[in-house]
Amino acid sequence: MKELSLNILDVAENSVKAGASLTQILLTEEGDVLTLEIVDDGCGMDEDVVRSVIDPFYTTRTTRKVGMGIPLLKLACEQTGGCLDISSVTQEADPVSHGTHVTATFHMNHIDFTPLGDLTASVLTLIQGHPDTDFLFRHTRNGNVVELDTRVLREVLEDVPLNSYDVMRWIEGDLQEQYEALS
Amino acid sequence: MKVKELLEHGFEALSLPDGDREIDGVYIGDLLSWVMGRAQMDNAWITIMTNVNTIAVASLADTSCVILAEGVDMPEDILETARDKEINVLRSSQPIYETAVQLSKLVS
Repeated sequence: MKELSLNILDVAENSVKAGASLTQILLTEEGDVLTLEIVDDGCGMDEDVVRSVIDPFYTTRTTRKVGMGIPLLKLACEQTGGCLDISSVTQEADPVSHGTHVTATFHMNHIDFTPLGDLTASVLTLIQGHPDTDFLFRHTRNGNVVELDTRVLREVLEDVPLNSYDVMRWIEGDLQEQYEALS
Repeated sequence: MKVKELLEHGFEALSLPDGDREIDGVYIGDLLSWVMGRAQMDNAWITIMTNVNTIAVASLADTSCVILAEGVDMPEDILETARDKEINVLRSSQPIYETAVQLSKLVS
């Protein structure tokens, strides 16, 4: 991916596919280090499946169901000297608190760091495609925060769908405004 | 031309499970996600990327062979994966451009 935002989109789509009701996309920049976390409360994966999404060739079945999303994210962070970690709890193992937590760290000053790209567009794409699930997006840069929580929006909007045109435009404007204040 | 015929022109075989495969065209790139969507079936793919994702992309894009330029090393465990997945991997000691020029003379 030419931009990390596309990679984030790809991995967050997996969370939605896993039946998550809330997917959190958390980016934290502290000096040179960027920590990206994608946390969902979906059905989770057992150890075998976690291994299969990291290794593009590990399969327990005849056809590959998993994309290159995680292997490419792993490559993107490792080529900056960072690392990727996945922890997951299946619904069977814990019916109350289950889901998947992907953590990737990057060194942003490394010459092979992939630019972040258009995060606002990625968030909008997710909401547009999945208006009935919730997303928490939070980007912290040296203590300053850009945040969007669809649960909060939903309370205000009541019956208006999140992916209606006016709401999408408002979210876009709101995120752009927050980003302008950040830089 | 067949992949194995490249061996007569200074290319080194690192994994050659399917040497009779025909080469049709050439693709060059190191950004794997980019290559995944653009390399054509049967292309010889020139790259310097040597991790396991390279083999996965060659498999998904169904290229005829991976050609590692600049004499880069591919770890043995990854070459084992390549053989296991029937992915041809060759190596050239030449830089990417020179490798491409050489291939353009050999591959119609």
